[in-house]
Amino acid sequence: MVAPRFRSRTFRRIKVKTPGNRNTIHYRLRKPAKAQCGKCGRPLQGVARARPIQLRRFSRSQKRPERPFGGVLCSSCTRDELRARAK
Amino acid sequence: MIEIGRVCLKIAGRDGGKKAVVVDILDNNYVVIAGETRKRKCNVNHLEFLNKTVKIKKGASDAELEKALKSEGIILRKTKPKKAGPRPLRQHKARPMVKPETVARKKKTKEAKPETGPETIAKPETKTEPGADTKTLNQKEKAKTGKPAAKAAKKAVNS
Repeated sequence: MVAPRFRSRTFRRIKVKTPGNRNTIHYRLRKPAKAQCGKCGRPLQGVARARPIQLRRFSRSQKRPERPFGGVLCSSCTRDELRARAK
Repeated sequence: MIEIGRVCLKIAGRDGGKKAVVVDILDNNYVVIAGETRKRKCNVNHLEFLNKTVKIKKGASDAELEKALKSEGIILRKTKPKKAGPRPLRQHKARPMVKPETVARKKKTKEAKPETGPETIAKPETKTEPGADTKTLNQKEKAKTGKPAAKAAKKAVNS
């Protein structure tokens, strides 16, 4: 019988083929939600999606785009913002 | 709108939000800019052209650019000229190949080991001896005095 905490869907299930040619299910914590633009709400591209512990392994440039407002606003919203600030 | 001397704002990339001036026009899509950004080729779509112009000739030098950009409050970012001579990578490779240091370290370790060796070996021997003695002594004492005495006492109580 599976452990009680694994019976709910808080964990995601991963099918693993063991060396003994047996199919087993492994349980891992789910990934956090996709990062969204702070202005328009569109999902951001180039933002790493992993647990904080795994994010620690990434370098700073691997986590978010290397431009102003990178990881906060989407590319089109940053353009609008920069234009507005220049005026 | 796109001409040499036009002040523009870089919108995309890591230079986003920095002001620059068009120095050269390559074709319909690409332009060379200089200013707060590095001197670089740039797509026109990544630029916002402003309503200001600066008097510059095509291929102007850094000194000329600096003078012209002062009026717009833009500080020219200068890139260092590349150093002539051998590449730095080769110099890095040469460093670990230095022989005398490595040889000297090895010798030290070899000499040091036999000196320290007997001492370290000798210490545990001295440590074990008293320990062994005490153990044996304790056992002897127990065998002689402790246990039989206790047994005798129990027997006496029982009887």
